[in-house]
Amino acid sequence: MVTLYPRTEAFPGLEDTGIDEFLVRFRRESTFLIYVGVLLGTFLFHWSTLLTVYIPLPAFMLPAGLREKHASRVLGSRIYLLRQAVFLVKLVAGMCWGADARVREKLGLPPQPADPGTWRQS
Amino acid sequence: MTHTSFREDAFTLDVDYIVVGSGAGGATAASALARGGAHVAVVEAGPWRDPEHYPHSMYGAMRDLFDDWGAGVAQGRALWPIVQSSCVGGTTVINCAICVRTPADIFDQWEREHGVAGGSFRDTMWKHQDALETELSAELPPPESLGRNSELALIGAKALGYESHVMTRYTKRCAGSGQCLQGCRSERKQSLNLQFIPEVLAKGGHVLSCAPVHRVLLEGRRAVGVTGRFRHPQTHKKGGTFTVRARKAVLVAASVTHTAPILERSGVKNPMLGLGFRAHPGTGVFGIYDDVVDMNKGATQGWASMAYRDDPGFKLETLSIPPEMLSSRLSGVGQELMRRIGEYRHIAMWVLAVRAESVGTVHNGLFDRSVVKYGFNEADMLRLRKGMGVIARTHFAAGAKKVVPGIFGLPYELTADQLSLIDEGPLDPRAYIAILSHLFGGCVMGKDPARSVCDESGRVHGYEGLLVADASVIPTNLGVNPQHTIMALARTFVDRLLEA
Ligand SMILES: Cc1cc2nc3c(=O)[nH]c(=O)nc-3n(C[C@H](O)[C@H](O)[C@H](O)COP(=O)(O)OP(=O)(O)OC[C@H]3O[C@@H](n4cnc5c(N)ncnc54)[C@H](O)[C@@H]3O)c2cc1C
Ligand code: SF4
Repeated sequence: MVTLYPRTEAFPGLEDTGIDEFLVRFRRESTFLIYVGVLLGTFLFHWSTLLTVYIPLPAFMLPAGLREKHASRVLGSRIYLLRQAVFLVKLVAGMCWGADARVREKLGLPPQPADPGTWRQS
Repeated sequence: MTHTSFREDAFTLDVDYIVVGSGAGGATAASALARGGAHVAVVEAGPWRDPEHYPHSMYGAMRDLFDDWGAGVAQGRALWPIVQSSCVGGTTVINCAICVRTPADIFDQWEREHGVAGGSFRDTMWKHQDALETELSAELPPPESLGRNSELALIGAKALGYESHVMTRYTKRCAGSGQCLQGCRSERKQSLNLQFIPEVLAKGGHVLSCAPVHRVLLEGRRAVGVTGRFRHPQTHKKGGTFTVRARKAVLVAASVTHTAPILERSGVKNPMLGLGFRAHPGTGVFGIYDDVVDMNKGATQGWASMAYRDDPGFKLETLSIPPEMLSSRLSGVGQELMRRIGEYRHIAMWVLAVRAESVGTVHNGLFDRSVVKYGFNEADMLRLRKGMGVIARTHFAAGAKKVVPGIFGLPYELTADQLSLIDEGPLDPRAYIAILSHLFGGCVMGKDPARSVCDESGRVHGYEGLLVADASVIPTNLGVNPQHTIMALARTFVDRLLEA
């Protein structure tokens, strides 16, 4: 995930936006199907390197530059289900990254308060 | 006022009428019944969230407001997400409140092809739409709330010489916060959790939330109630059983993706059940401008054009999305993606909704999940592609320096002299990122019981006391935003029910 949204001069990277806590929360709060979809997408991301950069190593063992090349190619893969599965990972990671106050500030948006998660009980 | 939320213990209730679902169709039907003096229970699968409960982030919106986290997809050659809401107020809580009257040609088409909506039907519907516009404060956004995204679209369409306009929406002085998809916290948008549902309570009705109906109870061919188990909105755990009995009728308005499956689970026999699923698939083209656009400042959707509704068949609109969604919508990863996102403030997003002729199905699947099958035919792909070309040209006419079509296989961004790439773009739906948000059918109305599920009063053929009152009854696409039509249909059906 961090490969998708790396730290740059302009923006904090995914690792700076609390992705670890986000994933714990996501696991707890999301539905079984979505969570399995993200796990599957992550699995496919790591084990499809042979199709993209022609190296028989999982993506997490690749050097950063090559991993980014793999990420770019896998999202542009001609295999629809593969690119859709990884797209889901990108979408979920984007939910964390794009909601970060520093990212929003760079994009001219005010910080967002925490989501209340409450409802009318009576 | 009686509202019952999630419970661990069993719950029973007797009323005159039950309305299943509290969205555009359900809330409108329930309030019309309550105004007619009936004792009504609204049974809603999702929780009741007031504006102070609404999420701020898109993550929160998917978790708290979207049906099944927005994870539903239409299965076809491509997997396109189906977006709907699950909460009191239904999809009106997350929609953009665009208010468009049912066009006259739609009634003609319904009469010609389905034998319904003849005679005074159209006048009744328009009379209801008059009233709904007043009750829900249909108005144009104040000029200061329109936003640059929509202003640019007006400029572009004018330069190209086609009709376009600022949209009328059910809002009270829209403040232009661009947050309709997360629910309007400032209560400007007149979603039906704020409007008709409180009226049902005030008139002595009952609302059950967190209460997904599993099936309608039938005694022979008569609907006598509904049953299911409460579902906790946070943990999704099941609670106690609820059973609501109806002395007079059950109106099912659980949306296109749920109404037909509920009827199937209930044992309703009709060969047309689940058929005739239709949609207005939507996709967008981004324009990148030298000046700041700040699409999130202004009405979430403020501009539209109907110039191409009849031929070839699409509607154009502006739409603003938050950075969380944009980041996945822009192709690329890593440094390249970050550079692209860096242009966020300069991006305008305009979308098209295809008046598609493709037809699909919606059925009850494994573990009672709704299964939508929907292939997108070539004629519709041509419409989609044509619409994207029109949007791209409009961006350039408005001063964009480049456009981002988001079509698989095409360069990330195109300049004005590269637009033939869109015109000749792929016709494979898998090359496009589209969503389905305007849905129709599954329980279509018609005169002939062999070709329809309901009659033109929403009554399910061959059953007593069982009606459908949501977008499921609509037998064609509309080519315009559906909420106004759905609400007017619900009122028309209730008028006839109460008269009977
Ligand atoms: C993002 C978005 C923007 C849109 N913008 C516009 C717009 O601006 N203007 C417009 O005209 N249209 C718009 N639409 C479409 C419009 O909102 C819908 O067409 C309309 O709300 C559908 O009405 P409905 O009554 O059929 O279903 P819904 O409004 O979806 O209501 C169905 C309700 O039934 C409940 N339900 C489902 N299953 C069960 C069950 N088993 N038991 C009990 N309850 C159940 C659901 O939780 C939901 O609350 C938009 C849609 C989306 C997704
Ligand atoms: S744009 Fe903002 S203020 Fe206007 S209706 Fe939508 S959420 Fe409310």
